[in-house]
Amino acid sequence: MIELSPLARKQWQRFRSIKRGYYSAIVMAALLGVSCAAELLVNSRALIVSYQGEWYFPTYGAFLPGTTFGLDYDYETNYRELAARLIEEDRGDWVLLPIVPFDPFENDLQAGVYPPYAPSVAGGHFLGTDTTGRDVVARLLYGFRIAIAFALLLLACNYAIGIAIGCAMGFWGGAFDLLFQRLIEVWSNVPFLYVIMIIASVMVPNFWTLATVMVLFGWMSMTWYMRTSTYKEKAREYVMAARALGASNVRIIARHVLPNTISVIVTFIPFSIASGITALTALDYLGFGLPPPTPSWGELLDQGTANLDYPWIVSSVVIAMVVVLLMVTYIGEAIREAFDPKQFSYYE
Amino acid sequence: MERELWTLPGAWVRKVRDVTTVGDRLAHGSSWPRPLPLGSVATATKTRHWWHIDGTIARLAIRARVVLTAYFIRRLLLIVPTFIGISLLVFTLTRLVPGGPIERMLNEAAMANQSAAALSSGFGGAGGSTLSEEQLEDLKAYYGFDKPIFEAYVVWLGRVLVLDLGHSTRYTEPVWDIIRDRFPISIFYGVATLILTYGVCIPLGIVKAIRHKSGFDNATSAVIFFGYAIPGYVVGIALLTAFASELEWFPLGGFISDDFDDLSTTQKIGDVLDHAALPLLSYMAGSFAVTTLMMKNSLMDNLAADYVRTAVAKGLTFKRAVFRHAMRNSLIPIATSFGGNISLILTGSFLIEKIFNIDGFGLLGFESLVERDYPIVMGILVIASILFLIGNILSDICVALVDPRVKFGAAGDRGD
Repeated sequence: MIELSPLARKQWQRFRSIKRGYYSAIVMAALLGVSCAAELLVNSRALIVSYQGEWYFPTYGAFLPGTTFGLDYDYETNYRELAARLIEEDRGDWVLLPIVPFDPFENDLQAGVYPPYAPSVAGGHFLGTDTTGRDVVARLLYGFRIAIAFALLLLACNYAIGIAIGCAMGFWGGAFDLLFQRLIEVWSNVPFLYVIMIIASVMVPNFWTLATVMVLFGWMSMTWYMRTSTYKEKAREYVMAARALGASNVRIIARHVLPNTISVIVTFIPFSIASGITALTALDYLGFGLPPPTPSWGELLDQGTANLDYPWIVSSVVIAMVVVLLMVTYIGEAIREAFDPKQFSYYE
Repeated sequence: MERELWTLPGAWVRKVRDVTTVGDRLAHGSSWPRPLPLGSVATATKTRHWWHIDGTIARLAIRARVVLTAYFIRRLLLIVPTFIGISLLVFTLTRLVPGGPIERMLNEAAMANQSAAALSSGFGGAGGSTLSEEQLEDLKAYYGFDKPIFEAYVVWLGRVLVLDLGHSTRYTEPVWDIIRDRFPISIFYGVATLILTYGVCIPLGIVKAIRHKSGFDNATSAVIFFGYAIPGYVVGIALLTAFASELEWFPLGGFISDDFDDLSTTQKIGDVLDHAALPLLSYMAGSFAVTTLMMKNSLMDNLAADYVRTAVAKGLTFKRAVFRHAMRNSLIPIATSFGGNISLILTGSFLIEKIFNIDGFGLLGFESLVERDYPIVMGILVIASILFLIGNILSDICVALVDPRVKFGAAGDRGD
């Protein structure tokens, strides 16, 4: 168990006392957990197949050809059909399917009807399908996983660069500081979205290249805040005391300055995540994000607005976005409140 | 315990706004993250009753003005390297793309040939190049593809300096003419958003600050929180789905109806407003929350300041203390974001223009990117960059105008 400092414990208590943010954090953590284990909940592969006395767990690992279960094809088993068939044969074999037995890339076409299919519990598509017959729940969940992973990666890279360069700028100052000041000044004047769109139109980006490009244009703001707060902290007496005791620069930064700037960093995290999700969704919506058929909220938004006659597509993704962004913002508010208890005294 | 974001100091809101920029600005389309103007925000929030300056401060102010002029000259000079940097980067990129204008033209020619051949003789053309080598060279020379990238860039820059942005590869019209055609629509939306945002946010912020924690404050806070968390384009899509598609109260998009020319003047005005209602709401959603909270927080900061207490103690009415004293100081933070509007006015938003199919600047940029019409892409980049650079400087000038204590580029440059 990590021993929390009294201040951190107080901040944690204050955070917990803000119910909205605290519960949002719990729900968000649960959502993250669910999306990590998405294959167990939303997947076309069965969880467990009991066939002729043997048990199979097809969820992870290589695919099992249809011949495994006495079917007459070599490609991957269609577990929904297998389930129906085994029930029909009634020999004690059974299949346990996930709650939503569809994967995000699968076009579930029904004979005689064109997709999109409206939401129906009987059909297994709880939120309907998109225009090519892919399940909306599956697209939403896997899209969320990609978006949140993207946002977290962006956060980690931007903050690593921002903290390293910002600290160095604030701590050493001088020519290094000046150089980066000018660089940030110039770099932050780049028309960010437009340039990313141009780059994306040049090379069809994948997850990593898109993240690299976004980091390339997104590291400045954290750098700037870190520079300011390091500069403030450096001028405090405790840094002078540490120096007088013979502490090295590295020790002063790591042990004294950084822990005191942690509130700046923590406070911004939720908002950076929200902006990461929003940015990826916007790029996907415009068609300059991750290439199809990657499941993505932006792509669903695009489909939904192009097909307003099928409102379940656009409304599911809009509601999902609103809920997630509201929760992230609630968490952000609670953290900020916990770290910055300034009260207003005002004239009455 | 107070637990709402809008009761925290204005500086916090602004800091968060700057971090959230990637998403926020995406929602606004053409903007990009911008760190605080060097040293300005720290000074802008420390509000005092500044117009009672004595001789010393006045002398300091004069010295500050000299520093200020030097600062703005430096900022203006910085436009040049920034602009060259951005345009060289994008220019190089557009050169490296497969499927540039020449390939496009060759494809079109080949396809036209094929269908013509199919019509006349029944079998298709060779499918390859149908232009002679000489024609190809002419084309390359026309678009500057025959030169190395840097040389071509210098030629292009030289043309931009005399305001020649080249010809569109799609429409073969001059780029400037195409862009100019979109100005009225973009300016309409930009100015309307500007007026609505400031017209609603400033009074709302004042009322919320004075009636802090009242029922009205809490109710509007809920709406504001929503606008703060949800980006403008998602609001736009939600509005479009609900009010245009389901309820059919508003048209599905566009700037005017097809039968616009046949309408009477009042009908025309009604038609434009009918089309503009939803997009304007989405544009406002983007800046609404931040501006209102900034106004509320800075007014509350000032209401808590000693000079307001003093003013009331000396016998001023509360109303007069608020409107004559506190409010004037509270407008300073609002001024920091004013310059950003100039680029919003003209460049609008890729997202909102795409959602509502508004034929403005943003949609043009988006379409030309999709169609790989690089002269237009570069033309829009030039105009957007310059507007943004000027907007940033304008913001700083606004701050300096309303707040003479601001010292840019002087000792305050070190962050705080």
